[in-house]
Amino acid sequence: MPVTFVGVRHHSPACARLVRAAIARLRPAHVLIEGPADFTDRLDELLLAHTLPLAIFTHHRDGDRTHASWTPFCAYSPEWVALTEGRAAGAEVRFIDLPAWHPAFADRGNRYSDAEERYAEATRRLCEELAVDNSDALWDHLVEVAGDDGLAERLTAYFDLVRGESEAGEDDAERERYMARWIRAAAADAGDRHVVVVTGGFHTPALRALTAAPGDGADGWPEVPAPAGGARHGSYLVPYSFKRLDAFTGYQSGMPSPEYYQRLWEGGPQAAADALTELVATRLRRRKQVVSTSDLIAARTLTEGLARMRGHAAPARADLLDGLAAALVNEDLAQRLPWSARAPLGPGAHPAVVEMVGALSGDRAGRLAPGTPAPPLVHDAAAELERLGLDTPGPRTLRLTRPKDLERSRTLHRLRVLGVPGATPTSATYTEEGWTLAGDDARDSALIEAGAYGATLADAATAALEERALAAGHDMAALAAVLDAAARAGCTGVSGRIAALLGGGIAAATDFGGLGAALATVLGLWRHDAVLGTAGSPLFAAVIDGAVTRLLWLAEGTRGGAAPAEPKRLAAVAAIRDALRHAAPVLTVAREDALGVAARISADPDAPPDLRGAAFGLGWAFDAADDPERAVRGAADARTLGDWLAGLFAVAREQVLTGGPGVLGVLDELVGGLTEADFLIALPALRQAFHHFPPRERETIARRLLERRGAAGSGRALLRGAPDPLAVARGRALEERAAAVLAEEGLL
Amino acid sequence: MPHPDAPPADAAREAQRPPAEVRFAAELARLRDTDTAPRPPGWALSLEAARRFIVGDPARDVARKFVGDPSLVDRALVTLATSRGLMLVGEPGTAKSLLSELIAAAVSGDSTLTIQGGAATTEDQIRYSWNYALLVAEGPSPRSLVPAPLLRGMADGKVVRFEEITRCPLEVQDTLLSPLSDRVLAVPELTGPDAMVFARDGFNIIATANTRDRGVNEMSAALKRRFNFETVFPIADFATELELVEAEAARLLEHSGVGVPPRRDVLEVLVTTFRELREGRTAQGQAMDRPQAVLSTAEAVSVAHAVGVRGWFLRGEAGTAADIVESLAGTAAKDSPDDLAKLRRYLEQQASRRDGAQWKALHAARHRLPG
Repeated sequence: MPVTFVGVRHHSPACARLVRAAIARLRPAHVLIEGPADFTDRLDELLLAHTLPLAIFTHHRDGDRTHASWTPFCAYSPEWVALTEGRAAGAEVRFIDLPAWHPAFADRGNRYSDAEERYAEATRRLCEELAVDNSDALWDHLVEVAGDDGLAERLTAYFDLVRGESEAGEDDAERERYMARWIRAAAADAGDRHVVVVTGGFHTPALRALTAAPGDGADGWPEVPAPAGGARHGSYLVPYSFKRLDAFTGYQSGMPSPEYYQRLWEGGPQAAADALTELVATRLRRRKQVVSTSDLIAARTLTEGLARMRGHAAPARADLLDGLAAALVNEDLAQRLPWSARAPLGPGAHPAVVEMVGALSGDRAGRLAPGTPAPPLVHDAAAELERLGLDTPGPRTLRLTRPKDLERSRTLHRLRVLGVPGATPTSATYTEEGWTLAGDDARDSALIEAGAYGATLADAATAALEERALAAGHDMAALAAVLDAAARAGCTGVSGRIAALLGGGIAAATDFGGLGAALATVLGLWRHDAVLGTAGSPLFAAVIDGAVTRLLWLAEGTRGGAAPAEPKRLAAVAAIRDALRHAAPVLTVAREDALGVAARISADPDAPPDLRGAAFGLGWAFDAADDPERAVRGAADARTLGDWLAGLFAVAREQVLTGGPGVLGVLDELVGGLTEADFLIALPALRQAFHHFPPRERETIARRLLERRGAAGSGRALLRGAPDPLAVARGRALEERAAAVLAEEGLL
Repeated sequence: MPHPDAPPADAAREAQRPPAEVRFAAELARLRDTDTAPRPPGWALSLEAARRFIVGDPARDVARKFVGDPSLVDRALVTLATSRGLMLVGEPGTAKSLLSELIAAAVSGDSTLTIQGGAATTEDQIRYSWNYALLVAEGPSPRSLVPAPLLRGMADGKVVRFEEITRCPLEVQDTLLSPLSDRVLAVPELTGPDAMVFARDGFNIIATANTRDRGVNEMSAALKRRFNFETVFPIADFATELELVEAEAARLLEHSGVGVPPRRDVLEVLVTTFRELREGRTAQGQAMDRPQAVLSTAEAVSVAHAVGVRGWFLRGEAGTAADIVESLAGTAAKDSPDDLAKLRRYLEQQASRRDGAQWKALHAARHRLPG
């Protein structure tokens, strides 16, 4: 009953070779693989003529939690090789790990992610000892390009080291106890034939110890655990992609650069390096970047040199990337190289680096063979469309105030978020939407692909929106589109990751006006929107908090002397005011701090006048401004008065009207005291400023002015009587010029 | 074989700061004795041993001297073994000069062939000049020629360091073109074989440039093409930087007669503040305006020193977050009101969100910023 353990790193071509060699050598009776035990019965499905990569997608929902997870396979996955080679060698192939819905996987989205934090300290010390950048480079150095001689022993030593140093959690221990039961049963069943066990190397030392110890009395094949009654769960095959496999773009992933390792698996490291050097050059030239022949020669020389210095027989991934970077980048970089820092590409990355990372990541996408059972999303979508009467083509008009129509609208919006064809919006108002539905053959295939996002339309749309929020980065327009789509698709209740991603984007936004507009919209949705059901949504609350913090930060950084008032900027300050007034409970910025910022801006001679006026208004709106009359007097320069007032009126209109006669009196005095020339300079901005008052309030102002000057007549007449003010201004300018000429000639 | 003009080893040992090959002579000797790998022509050590000299080798008791990515050192060394020069660029205070000194010491066993770039640097200081008394007496001859670092490096097959190359006028920078590409320097005043100095194996150039002054954009494309660029970044890892600041500050404080070591929690706040302002991004991912001032690790050490001195001599304790605010005004903000405003915004809007007594103290002390 010999049992051979092959400890692997998931998605490692070297480990895949090791598995293939072990199976060919031992011709085992059983091949046991770390994978969901409840899928063993459906291995035939997995072995249809699919295009890799693909994944087993598992969803689970019960009273306490919903969970979705993936078990991805690509051509060079050791688990995939064990599966196919094991079958070909006539062995009985089984998955022996706990099912993916099991609580032991509660915080894992990817069964084959490395979960490296368990042994970070051990790898850090190894990296230091061998003077390599990080665990990716370490792995390549020790395993992928180190040759197959003694590879198995090296791996055993490596995994013994990392396991020996780290504390396995209860989740790991539970999985290992379960896998050990399968191994004992298989060993008993195999008689004197071999058993090959393919699991993550982290588990191998423990499994070896567990199977050597006497059994816990439970003999025979273990049973596959079933979820508690009432839980809904299922596992399906879904197409996967290299993009999602790559650590540079995904989270919780394993080995980076799938395209590189695919080529390494197919043709070895030298062929992979050569082909990818060429590919990077092609991609750069397509982007109109100059890559000369001497650059390419330099890249090859440097790659070779690095490989030799680091003791590699053929270049490793880091040698290739380092060589390319040294040869192709001839400027200073704004950020550390992503393969050194193990970080995703930041904005402003060097184009050569972007193309290098992109080429090594690749864009292969998997496809399921015809006849594969469709993922649950396909059934869920069909059932939803039928239930809501959306399964026949034709135009539809949906009134969002009716619950059933709102549900229909959300379903159609979710399909659009997922890129599923067949439903096109034709018109949209606040409460009504028009749609055209068409029967579309492409719908099912699009749904199969989208099936990788989730089991139901709501879950899948949420996951797809997360991805879009991540891709939007700091682009305010794109982020606003994600928010809008989330509101329309009814995905706002689920805060979590979308909120975090949007928060990250907002925290780095630089478009003051755009962010202000977004804040105003979101604030409205958060406070009132009963139609879309977004009132009080935690997602929007998080966005409001982030936007206010960021706007205050941006406001204080705004510089620039006299410039015409910018309505967008003023609207943004008004949005801050509304958020401080109505959304205080969800803000992390204290009101005093916000008003402190406002006070500093209003006193800052370098800030634009409209922003200073608005900042002063913000303080006044919360009774924190001292002596408005004095402030108005302080802004009395004819060139900036109108802009300053535009800011003040945009934010603190009510205070101006209700704050007693003082401010209006000062204004009257100031405007009355302007010389003719100054008045003409100030006039356009003053007009713009007073536009912030609606006609009724303008009338109030006019009446007060009349009262103040002791004149009779109605305020309305004063406003109505005025002809086109531009004509008046032109006339006055003409008069003044005539007077000047007359004075010059001594005629006046 | 040291150059005849080089100071004798004894003098170097008494110097305030001896060159790297003297400071680390024992380590270099150990590496040389155990070095079995093939050496590039003209090199004092193999690539592998040179690399270990800089990134450290616990097995041979060689200390780690550069805390950046080891792959940067790899690329730099391989570049020097090819026909391109090495250009180290980065913010001020990222240890570019130290790295270039270490590399020169490892590759050539001599880090003293150094040209300091500046607005007044001339070709004479780079290539060669004349002993005018001899020149007048004998006319141009190898005897009256005074070689400058470039000529010496070429003749002896050694690495020449060119510090702050972008601070030199463009014409002066371009002096390097033919030594880099044709590996030859003409001395037109001489005749015969002395008129051409051909570079011996082992010659190459390490230039450094900082991205703040004038940047590398003004370099000629021809010269840029002859260099491989390596960007040196500030220390990536918080713990490493904190450790370095703590060690250096403790050393300086002891030297200043301060009786207590710096407080760890105060230093944590200080280093975090420096890192976040330097990167223009908080640990939570919020983007901020970066001050113009240089916020290097070296500056952090000097602020930590100032904090300790204030605390000890004013109040007899180790210094608090409030002292950080006072000291920051002088270093981080220098005389720029803009930077001061950025700093104030940071203290007000970011410090208030952090947990911990020292952060609270930092926030509370924000009013101490001048202006």
